[in-house]
Amino acid sequence: MSDYKALQEAVLKGDIKTALEQTQKAIDAKDVARDVLDNGLIPAMDEMGDRFAKGVAFVPQMLRAAKTMQECVKLLQPLFAEGDITSKGKVLIGTVKGDLHDIGKNLVAMMLEGAGFTIVDIGVDVSPDKFVEKVKETNPDIVGMSALLSTTMPAMPETIEALKTAGLRDNIKIMIGGAPVTEKYATQIEADSYASDAGSAVAKAKELLGIS
Amino acid sequence: MKEVQTFRPRLKVLGKQQVDAIHASALEILATMGVKMEHPGALAMLKNAGCEVFNEDWVKIPAELVEAAIKTAPKKFTLYDQNGNPAMPLEDGNSFYGTGSDTNFTIDVETGERRPTVIADVANFAKLVDGLDNISFNMSMANAQDVPVKDIYIHAFVAMVKNTNKPMVFIADSGRDIAVIHQIASAIAGGEEKFRAKPFMLNYSEAISPLRFPETIVDKLIFCAQKGIPLCLPSGSNAGGGAPVTLAGAMAMGIAENLAGLVIHQMTNKGAPFLFGPNVSVLDMKSAVVSYGCPEWSLSQAALADMRDELYGIPTWAYAGASDSKVMDAQAGAEAAFSIYSAMLAHANVIHDMGYLEYGSTSCLEMVTMANELVAMSRFFAGGIPVNDGTLALDALKRVSGTPGSMFLMDDHTFEHFMEAQFTPKLLDRSRYDAWEGAGSQDMYKRCNVEAKRILDEHEMEPKSKEVLEQIDNIVSK
Ligand code: B1M
Repeated sequence: MSDYKALQEAVLKGDIKTALEQTQKAIDAKDVARDVLDNGLIPAMDEMGDRFAKGVAFVPQMLRAAKTMQECVKLLQPLFAEGDITSKGKVLIGTVKGDLHDIGKNLVAMMLEGAGFTIVDIGVDVSPDKFVEKVKETNPDIVGMSALLSTTMPAMPETIEALKTAGLRDNIKIMIGGAPVTEKYATQIEADSYASDAGSAVAKAKELLGIS
Repeated sequence: MKEVQTFRPRLKVLGKQQVDAIHASALEILATMGVKMEHPGALAMLKNAGCEVFNEDWVKIPAELVEAAIKTAPKKFTLYDQNGNPAMPLEDGNSFYGTGSDTNFTIDVETGERRPTVIADVANFAKLVDGLDNISFNMSMANAQDVPVKDIYIHAFVAMVKNTNKPMVFIADSGRDIAVIHQIASAIAGGEEKFRAKPFMLNYSEAISPLRFPETIVDKLIFCAQKGIPLCLPSGSNAGGGAPVTLAGAMAMGIAENLAGLVIHQMTNKGAPFLFGPNVSVLDMKSAVVSYGCPEWSLSQAALADMRDELYGIPTWAYAGASDSKVMDAQAGAEAAFSIYSAMLAHANVIHDMGYLEYGSTSCLEMVTMANELVAMSRFFAGGIPVNDGTLALDALKRVSGTPGSMFLMDDHTFEHFMEAQFTPKLLDRSRYDAWEGAGSQDMYKRCNVEAKRILDEHEMEPKSKEVLEQIDNIVSK
């Protein structure tokens, strides 16, 4: 196994060019793709998450590191062995009906993606029916709903109801978030999880799927 | 002595060169990238006027149309109070301060705890505003959780008009509730035409950065243009989130969005009143919140006032007196003071969000009360120094210097002028230590709490007539 220090440094710096070179070097050295991911890229992202939580790294640095990692994963993609799970799970995410706020939702999606989840972003002003349709179509593990307005929060239980009626509720976990949303509200409408910000959304998503 | 004009202190952050460059960039955005216009009627109107429509509902707007809209937009207009008296003449860089809209939480004035807002809070904030001299207009300050969500903005509006006669800035969800709100306003004014002649409210709608105009927002924009309801259309072009991280770019984009709205507005009704300006705050790169206490927002709106003076002439929309702090502490005081003072010196016109805490999530009666005092302080400063025989006071000096043991304190000149020559704070405490201790060692927060409660207890707004109140109830119950 190679030493991934240079690769990790490049990811932390968001230096895509060097990170790709380092990944290529590992590939040329016949490193196992899985090792590059598990021992190189993921620890770098964990370190970034740590720095962010401590307030020494900023959002754009975090996002750039995630992008750097994704580029490297793309390079590794053809080399993963059959059965190598490279995604932590699939998250379908959207802002609920009537609500057009999406900066928070986008940030949550990007952070989840950076942490290794596959994201299906279905946009803003998404009706319960559209959620149902997209869940059928893409078969996600987690459905994430965002609402920034008190007036649009009721669309969350409506969506959950629609998913129940469609017989899809038992196959998925539901996570909700957005400024007016609370833990209590999540319990009340029988969502499985609530996250107050993008960082905790990642932790909660992992928790929901029982992974670390 | 020859008459000397009083110099009005003025903060300038852009010169003509920068103004022209930002404006040119906004025009370029509209002419080459265009906006996403999701309102079929508005899209058709723009197409008929010669705009290029592409990708279904994207439209490029040429500079001529923009310049024409700037030309026909009023360069001054007045907001009246609900009794029909002129209250906010928006001209000459006059500054007026008011509260903000929809917060989810409020700091309870009795317990000091942060709790979800209810409709009684909307009423309380309106009453407080009615009783505070330096707060010129009212907004809801609360997104009440105890009224049916479908009509939340109608309920908020009714709670406001029942508790204040001051001008208002209101929010509506769509073309449906704004029509009801307009009916209520017309009832108060004594008819639709009387309201049009003396509008007392301004609608706050928002385009979506980057460059997106959803249908419901344009519905409201067109409705306001038709009915003569003044409106502002500040997109949330926060730097680093909805807009480029650099202020010039965020401003150019936000201004482009405003100009696109203005084009539709003026095409619908030439000369209808429009308040100019985007909300250019920042997305904080540590917490990912949109800040309500940052210097960038103050700076961008000062720049906007320069754009008004150098180019557009249209009165501006601004913010001040808010904070990202969770409680009304020193941070809240510092951020409120900084923004109030700089907005005043920049000669921004309609300045909202006074009394926000927690980046606009929490409202606070005490914070509004403090902001009221900070406006008075800033207004004094912005009044400048009158220079004339009376204020140079050589006569007084002659008298005092000629009388052994005398000082200015007992001179007539002091007696005659001290009230206007000095700023007399009400809540900012200058008492001697023992007196302060004797009065209960109250800090600013506590003093504002006492004052807010006093106003809520004692202030009586001039009540609306029985007929008007009945009409309002009828409209709402329909
Ligand atoms: C799935 O799992 C999860 C998990 C976590 C999740 C999650 C999902 N979703 C979010 N999270 C969480 O993680 C995210 C990342 O850390 C966080 O997301 P946030 O979205 O909180 O954080 C973002 C990264 C940054 N924050 C934001 O982007 C929101 C900032 C504020 C200023 C804001 C903005 C920018 C906008 N706005 Co609006 N806006 C306000 C906001 C006040 C504020 N300071 O918060 C708020 C939310 N807006 C409000 C209002 C009233 C409105 N807005 C409106 C419009 C807009 C803009 C278009 C101008 C713009 C949005 C642009 C866009 N593309 O999103 C209007 C509604 C339009 C509509 N139908 O949706 C309008 C009705 C105003 C009007 N006059 O028309 C208020 C809501 C009050 C309420 N309780 O209902 C408001 C609190 C401001 C206020 N105090 O008045 C967490 O909440």
